[in-house]
Amino acid sequence: MNLQAIRILFLKDLFLSRRQLFAYFAAGMAASALVCIPNTTLSFVGFILVITVAIAAGIHLIGTLMLAETTDQTRLFVMSLPISLLDYSISKISVVLTTYLIPWTAMFACLVIAMFVGDKQGNVAVTSAIFFFLLCSFMLQLVTAVVSESVGWTICVMVGGNVCLNVLLMKLHADEEVTEVVKSNVLSWPSIVLQIIGIELLVIAVALATAFLFQTRKQDLV
Amino acid sequence: MTTELDGLTGTELAVSMIDVSKSYKHFKLRNIHFSVERGTVAGLIGPNGAGKSTTMRILMGLVQPDTGTVSALGKTISSREAAAKQDIGYFSDDMRLYKPESIGWHMQFVRSLYPRWDDTYATQLLKRFGLIDEQVVKGLSHGQRVKAMLLLIFARRPKLLILDEPTNGLDPVAKHEILTELMRVVEDDSRTILYSSHNTQDVEQIRDSITFIDRGQVIASSNRDEFLEKWKRIKLHAPEEWSAPVVEGLRLESRHRNLHVLSFSQFSDQVPARLHEPGVVIEAVEPMTLEEIFVSSVMRGREGSQS
Repeated sequence: MNLQAIRILFLKDLFLSRRQLFAYFAAGMAASALVCIPNTTLSFVGFILVITVAIAAGIHLIGTLMLAETTDQTRLFVMSLPISLLDYSISKISVVLTTYLIPWTAMFACLVIAMFVGDKQGNVAVTSAIFFFLLCSFMLQLVTAVVSESVGWTICVMVGGNVCLNVLLMKLHADEEVTEVVKSNVLSWPSIVLQIIGIELLVIAVALATAFLFQTRKQDLV
Repeated sequence: MTTELDGLTGTELAVSMIDVSKSYKHFKLRNIHFSVERGTVAGLIGPNGAGKSTTMRILMGLVQPDTGTVSALGKTISSREAAAKQDIGYFSDDMRLYKPESIGWHMQFVRSLYPRWDDTYATQLLKRFGLIDEQVVKGLSHGQRVKAMLLLIFARRPKLLILDEPTNGLDPVAKHEILTELMRVVEDDSRTILYSSHNTQDVEQIRDSITFIDRGQVIASSNRDEFLEKWKRIKLHAPEEWSAPVVEGLRLESRHRNLHVLSFSQFSDQVPARLHEPGVVIEAVEPMTLEEIFVSSVMRGREGSQS
């Protein structure tokens, strides 16, 4: 493993994605600010926008940083340089994950801070479950992109994730314990939320390991 | 380039492929066995889809062969190893740079991975190729893009250059500029160049040895002068029903009434004597061009595989 090569590749991809990264960060901050406005309609629109930004950022970053290297034939250029498959895999998965986590963390942190400031700590648990679901969905898209190298299949997984997000929201809304916690201003973790977050973290870990395993075992790079 | 390894040791060989095979759904590369000596220029010639690019990608470790061993500059090649690539410059016509970034950005990126990067030479190449480092790749013409990629390769001062159809689709001026620069690179005796093309004219000026490849197999491999010396065309007049005697390397290229055109891959001074029969008059013994030799080799290989 060549740490210097991994660092150079990582910084290269970070630079190449700078415009998208800035755009999604700015959009995420704007959407989070909207959520904090004490107006039910604006706050709801803001929340929808936060979810939209998180989904759009995921598919866009996977598309530009990972899938575009195949379609634009730039991978042939990169792999002609003194870089091993392991170096390439580590840098690629790390940079895709990092670029997604920047707006994701910013939005999540912004909302949690706003909930504490606005005395709405009861929403923290549900918001956490939703944000970890978004990260989970992103990781599944990432592993699909690594395995299939197909834009079509990655979009299919994204659509599946969006459908499942609605199921999750319905399930949370239907749970009495969750409803009571959301209405209160006390930070509390209902058991169903903890179970969901636990499953989400497990899926994230498995997806990350699978993506890395598949990427490093590829026989043909072009 | 030699199909046999000729007893050369790993240190004398820049490239060595031993019984390399690779199967795809509709294409097979079969038992590729050749080597390139250090300090030589080798041409790999084949029609489109012959397996040139696959062979070169295997050499770069970009494609894993199903069987066989590959080494370059004495190091084993695999996708898991990057050390050998430090001394190899690889160009492919399918290769693309990052469209939104400039040539200068690419130079900085490549320089960061190569301690031997030569800034002075890179600046000279920019001028010779008529490129500007602020130029964004998106706005480059095909010829400029090829020149920019070759600049990024040449300025690393690689010991081995693997060039997969570098002049494909270029106008005559751009082709001349690139071949001229390649001639400068060739002047350095320690450099080895493996150059592929489907056009024999491209490699005529710059290689020491040639390998013909077709349908995933090496069909002929020799020194250029040997090819030109051994391959001859004989035009002779003979009765229409005349059939040529069995002579090694003979192929009937065409027949029009009593004019027979034969090609020989193993021509010697004894060959015309063997053709002398009553009613047979040899009109001419002619040299063949590299392109004619290539086409005849391909046709012989295909006829052989059909029979």
